Amino acid sequence: MVTSGTTPALATEGLTRRYGRRVALADCTLRIPPGRVVGLVGPNGAGKSTLLQLACGLLAPTSGKVSVLGARPGTRLARVGFVAQDTPVYAALSVADHLRLGARLNPAWDAAFAARRVAALGLDPRQRAGRLSGGQRAQLALTVAAAKRPELLILDEPVAALDPLAREGFLRTLVESVAELGATAVLSSHLLSDVERVCDHLVVLTGGRVRLAGDVTALLDAHHRATAPPPPGADVVHGAIVRGPLPAGTGAGPVQLEELVLAYLRGEGDPR
Amino acid sequence: MTWLAWRQLRAQLLVTGVAVAVLAVYLVVLGTQIRGGHHDAVASCGDACGSALREFQSRFQGQLYLLDALLLVTPTLLGMFWGAPLVARELETGTHRLVWNQSVSRRRWLVVRLAVVTAAAAALTGLFSLLLTWAASPYDAVAADRFTALLFGARNLVPVAYTCCGVVLGALAGLVLRRTVPAMAVTALLFAAIQVAVPIVVRPHLGTPVHSSRAMSAEAIRNLSFLGAKADVEGLSAPNVWVVSNSKLLTADGRTVDLDRYHGCLSGQFDVMAQCVAALDLHVDVAYHPGGRYWRFQWLESLLFLTAALALTGVALWRIRVA
Repeated sequence: MVTSGTTPALATEGLTRRYGRRVALADCTLRIPPGRVVGLVGPNGAGKSTLLQLACGLLAPTSGKVSVLGARPGTRLARVGFVAQDTPVYAALSVADHLRLGARLNPAWDAAFAARRVAALGLDPRQRAGRLSGGQRAQLALTVAAAKRPELLILDEPVAALDPLAREGFLRTLVESVAELGATAVLSSHLLSDVERVCDHLVVLTGGRVRLAGDVTALLDAHHRATAPPPPGADVVHGAIVRGPLPAGTGAGPVQLEELVLAYLRGEGDPR
Repeated sequence: MTWLAWRQLRAQLLVTGVAVAVLAVYLVVLGTQIRGGHHDAVASCGDACGSALREFQSRFQGQLYLLDALLLVTPTLLGMFWGAPLVARELETGTHRLVWNQSVSRRRWLVVRLAVVTAAAAALTGLFSLLLTWAASPYDAVAADRFTALLFGARNLVPVAYTCCGVVLGALAGLVLRRTVPAMAVTALLFAAIQVAVPIVVRPHLGTPVHSSRAMSAEAIRNLSFLGAKADVEGLSAPNVWVVSNSKLLTADGRTVDLDRYHGCLSGQFDVMAQCVAALDLHVDVAYHPGGRYWRFQWLESLLFLTAALALTGVALWRIRVA
């Protein structure tokens, strides 16, 4: 019952990937429940791309296990959509050619969805993809990945190269598409601000290790900002950010997502 | 998937197709001229056709050699420009991450793309070879040298098999090296090496050569291309056969000619020398493949290259899974 609600969209166990001597991803254990929009956040070189490419089968793990929708990566091609970093498209092919490519290569292709998206974006179907702006190219890549109607949509730094306006437009279409598909989405970014507006689940990755993972609301509930110096025995992440409830009587307030993530990036706290 | 493979080949196919079309027109014109030239030479010469036919040969030799050379490098060119970029270009531009994440497995993607590109390349090479073989056939009938090492690869079937192998080799090089330009270079070097090595190392053994001895008359000596100081000779030929190897100049009892007596002849005018050497009553032992084996060799060598192409495809399919 791979489609049942309890099968994680993405699960890894001790997942490790080395490039020669360099460890890009170290002993990563993760469980992403279905139906979420997941933000994968970390600085450049944290291993985000490696993790996502392992998930869609473009890379093979050095050790450990990874399963996507309950199966080995690369075996459920029709059910996983992938928008790669820098959103590659065929420069010589037109927008319409890309849609035909999607239609010919995907049995569950939703031509109406694709046509609607292209029209809404104002893309000229006869335009060569090489002539599109960065934002339009990213939108085209998203359209091709989404119109195959995947259960899991993976996006690797999709907005990194876009200007603020294009970012906003891309993220809005992404949220609309994911809602329409009823899919799980995982998008990575080195900027929290890119993903915090759209994601309801967060994974923080630094130095190839998972520092923090969970639903955003649960993470915010589980952390506090101490208004006075935290008492001894408090589980301090970094600075004033404390994990778990504070002892009664000490001052504490709610925490913002950004300062929470920063605390984990700076403190490199215990992997969770 | 077939649609995408055609779509990606379209631009290259158009350019190469135009070039081949121009070449085809030229070959048809040349073929007509050769037929005319042959007809004229035979019609007017009566009993002494030797010189008329030699003149006919020299008239078309240059053009045909150029065309032979072009057909011989065609598989390498197609391997470089069609084969090498097939995977490498996708890896360079990152589009493999787009196309390998559609609902088609990488292996199926590679099989279809290889099949379409190889089929188109084989068709173009086949057309070129067919037209050249047709155009040159009156000339070949006079020259009687289509079985020789150089011309064998520029007629009939084998060029098509070379092309299939060259394209797959290029694709595999691109898959392994992941860069187009190095893959093109490696394809060119490897395939050129193969085309030099096969006629020397492999083709002679596609059948057991026939051995015979050839008397070295003055006429036979005049037709040699090389007469060495150590009694070694080169350039023995006979109509339609392929001479694989030959011995030095031998005396009637099978020993190498006495070099002092032989050197005594090697001076002065070539005609005088030829008669002097002929007077020594020498012969050479020759190993050759008779002309009747020509088609067997064409089929065997084609099969060899097609098998190699299939084996390389297998390696590529294994390799793309772990890429």
